Amino acid sequence: MIFIMAWRNIWRNKSRSIVIMLSIVIGLIAGISVLALYKGMMTSRVRTVIDAETAHLQIHDRDFKKDYHPSFILKNANSLFQSLSSLPEIKVAAPRSVVQAMLITATGSAGVQVNGVVPEYEYKVSGLKEKIKEGEGFHDNKKNEIIIGRKLAEKMKLKTGSKLVITFTDSADNIISSAFRIIAIYQSDNDPLDELNVYVPMQALNELLMTGNDFHEIAILLNSDEDLQKVQQILMKQFPAFSVESWKDISPETDFMVKTVDEYSYIIMIIILIALAFGILNTMLMSVLERTREIGMMVALGTSRSRIFLLVLLETVFLTIAGTPIGLTVAYLITDYYHTHGLNLSGMGEDMMASFGFNTLIYPSFPWEKLAGIMIMVIGTAIISCLLPAAKALRLQPVEALRR
Amino acid sequence: MSKTVIDAHNISKVYNPKTIPVYAVNNVHLHLNEGEFTALVGPSGSGKTTLLNLIGGLDKPDKGNIFINGTDITRLSAGELIDFRLHNIGFVFQSFNLIPVLTAGENTEFIMLLQGINKKDREKRLAQLFTEIGLEDKMDVRPAQLSGGQQQRVAVARALASKPHFILADEPTANLDSVSASNLLDLMARLNKEENITFLFSTHDQRVIERARRVITLVDGAIASDTAAVSTTDPHKELAI
Repeated sequence: MIFIMAWRNIWRNKSRSIVIMLSIVIGLIAGISVLALYKGMMTSRVRTVIDAETAHLQIHDRDFKKDYHPSFILKNANSLFQSLSSLPEIKVAAPRSVVQAMLITATGSAGVQVNGVVPEYEYKVSGLKEKIKEGEGFHDNKKNEIIIGRKLAEKMKLKTGSKLVITFTDSADNIISSAFRIIAIYQSDNDPLDELNVYVPMQALNELLMTGNDFHEIAILLNSDEDLQKVQQILMKQFPAFSVESWKDISPETDFMVKTVDEYSYIIMIIILIALAFGILNTMLMSVLERTREIGMMVALGTSRSRIFLLVLLETVFLTIAGTPIGLTVAYLITDYYHTHGLNLSGMGEDMMASFGFNTLIYPSFPWEKLAGIMIMVIGTAIISCLLPAAKALRLQPVEALRR
Repeated sequence: MSKTVIDAHNISKVYNPKTIPVYAVNNVHLHLNEGEFTALVGPSGSGKTTLLNLIGGLDKPDKGNIFINGTDITRLSAGELIDFRLHNIGFVFQSFNLIPVLTAGENTEFIMLLQGINKKDREKRLAQLFTEIGLEDKMDVRPAQLSGGQQQRVAVARALASKPHFILADEPTANLDSVSASNLLDLMARLNKEENITFLFSTHDQRVIERARRVITLVDGAIASDTAAVSTTDPHKELAI
């Protein structure tokens, strides 16, 4: 009956209760929308990292990343590359020769990372072909072709068809320079990487590096993100001499960003709920003070203090959660709409978004995995909000309360 | 020999003891047996409500002891007093004090729920109580839809629901019209006669006083007179309006 009383009590002052319920609905919509937007942004960023930048996993010689010296090739690279096809979790892998170089043109110079790639594999792993905005991809049997990023092209004032010179040290520490012609300009969602990475055919680069048919890196794309840890463990066991890194190891800033934003989104939700808590507290305090005589009478008749506390607690919880289904439903409908149609954030500054590696078209996603946490926070807010009104109710002396 | 229900020894209640002491109740000795139908009368400010509150365990005396069915309630903690009131004392208030969000039936059932009585027994007792108060058809009605007299009858049913040792009623007819007051007094007198329920009520109403078998008059917090009956009127006789 305490449940019935609590439920009916919140409807004694309908307008007051509806106002507080509406504020909870709006708070939930705002909070969940922010969580959904953050989730969409992070999902987009992680997808970009995996699908366009690092792939799921990369295999290198253990010393390669110490100073990126071209002599640290993967030994028996080709047989290692072939053996990967036996793992069903692997969707596709791409070999890469990598060297740090100086790009020189008539107008200036820039430090770049030259990626020697096999187009057939690279297009599938990093989606390089889809990122090309000007020109075409690599042509068969043409060696000195280079694909550069739009950011670098703008900085160095380069166009397709322009020539440039790449200078680097080979595996024997000789300084090598070679001219390349720009056949395409690509653009990804990450300006800093576009400015840094250039792509040439692997065969051409290997000849310059004198690394034969070997290479420095294998980028691996998996069928499912869920298999990341499992496949990493398998490869680490299978190839103990090499370093097997996941995208989280290669791009720790992205992993850190995902975790931090996850925490921030909870903080935002908590801030919204704290603001709501004051409204709930005020409503409940008024409700209790208006019923001083009634509560005093209940105590006089033999209602224990714990039941009085339960009554106030239930009223607060009901008041708080009554609007929750509406808030969750509206938030779901809003996020579902933008999940389907996308939310264009180009108004926030396309360049600014790209400089942080974000696409401007975000697909917010309802944070189902946070739903339990949100509900716990909402009920926690109710419990905290009820403490002061409940304390007031518990302090009432029946004689004094009945006199009012 | 009748069983003692209330035995108050030398009780006093003082307000403002450190400044200007006001004795709301002053050295009162009170002894009530089972089945008594007693009116507590006196002018406003004579201490009637304070004495009822002390006997009902709603307030604690500054001096003296109150034994209810042999238990000294002045020695009970606040929590123990709540439980004691629930199982031993029925209350009827001047302004009815029904819980507005509960129906008449739920108001009465609430006390039995607090006592932990099972659903079957609650329903049986509820039907019996509402038959006694003559409001069988009003069980599902909220207090706001009942007249003052009907609300006070429900309050009596609620007081009886816990099967208390006695019922304390603070000016039960003060807010009622004469017909409702008469009906309520008939109900209380019948319950007293047929079920031997002990009533102690404060009142100003001469018609109520006339129905009492014992009248205790309080003046300035002290008992000025205590008589077995002030009139020859039979309390169980219908009140002539």
